[in-house]
Amino acid sequence: MVLKTIKEKIVSAFHLADEVMRGKAVETIEYEVGELDNIFAILVLGAFIGIPSPPIHITMELLPEMEKELGIMLEKVSTAHDPLGDLFSVLDID
Amino acid sequence: MKPQLLFYIGKGGVGKSTTSAITAIHLSRNSRDILLVSMDPAHNQRDIFQKDFSEKTRQVTDCLAVKEVNVDYWIEKYLKDTEKTIKRTYSYESAFNLQNYFNVLQFSPGLEEYALLLAFENIIHTFEDKEVIIFDMAPTALALRFFSLPFITLIWLEELLKLREKIYAKKEIISEIKIGRKTIEQDKVKAKLAILIQEYGHLGDHFKSGATRINLVMNNDKLSFSEAFRIKKKLLDIGINIESILINKSQSKTIPDEVRNEFNHQKFGLFPFSSKNILGYQAMSEYLDENSEIFAELK
Repeated sequence: MVLKTIKEKIVSAFHLADEVMRGKAVETIEYEVGELDNIFAILVLGAFIGIPSPPIHITMELLPEMEKELGIMLEKVSTAHDPLGDLFSVLDID
Repeated sequence: MKPQLLFYIGKGGVGKSTTSAITAIHLSRNSRDILLVSMDPAHNQRDIFQKDFSEKTRQVTDCLAVKEVNVDYWIEKYLKDTEKTIKRTYSYESAFNLQNYFNVLQFSPGLEEYALLLAFENIIHTFEDKEVIIFDMAPTALALRFFSLPFITLIWLEELLKLREKIYAKKEIISEIKIGRKTIEQDKVKAKLAILIQEYGHLGDHFKSGATRINLVMNNDKLSFSEAFRIKKKLLDIGINIESILINKSQSKTIPDEVRNEFNHQKFGLFPFSSKNILGYQAMSEYLDENSEIFAELK
């Protein structure tokens, strides 16, 4: 019974470590995807923030599908004053 | 069978509306079912026919109907439809102040030609039973923007799709590392982009298809020649060919050499000068009778 509990704990610890390592491994690429999503949002929704944008009908056609991207774009505005700090925190540089 | 689409383009004031109206009457007198559409915001057809026209099609004779495209109506309809869709998706739209944005949007550059494109799309779907649809276009600048819009839109859409595919591929890598398999939810934006590319591809194909004929109207003067040459070049840049050159108010029965040399692949048509006012159905019919030899070739 005790052995079984220890085994379960080891397995659970292993899973947790695996999850953490996997999470760590994709942290940078996730950051890159976030940036690409932001670039895409800025390209399509640039008219909202005064950047040259595609013909307005493209923006209007895509806008209903871009709730998440619009959120990312607005979130990025809050870190826009310190983009290097944002990048360094992803790369674990103090 | 799909209708034949005839476009009348050219410099402002050369007689696009008159030549398109006369052609429409001529073809309808030969028992062909014709729809004449005024795409020019100036809407000269109502003055030429001396009748009121609107978005609603009006029969002039059994075989001839006329319709005016109201750009403002199409812009308003488009904005209302989009606003409805966005409101459905964004429950918190008031936070973004989208309502105010929509109020300004109607003045966005590019919306006028997009409204014309929406109207065009609607017309070719609604009037599939017509034999010929004749489009009396706006002067050069707006007409060229109208023709190039599907192609410009496609360039943007294809570039956006490339970026979206790059993002999707990276998301798949993340999913594979994190949970061991490539299972991420379907990218709605990518799917929408693919649909739009297909739609605009079809629209662009319409302008290049054999059923579409572009008639370039000009007068026998230097200014309208020069502009006609530029129109030909601009249309060729987007892969659209001009079918015929129509010289309106022509006082001679010969085509000037300068024009013949520049447009060596096009057909030519002459609309002889008339000292009378060609206004109203009756006057245009008389003009056709007076010049029956010339118009006999036009089928």
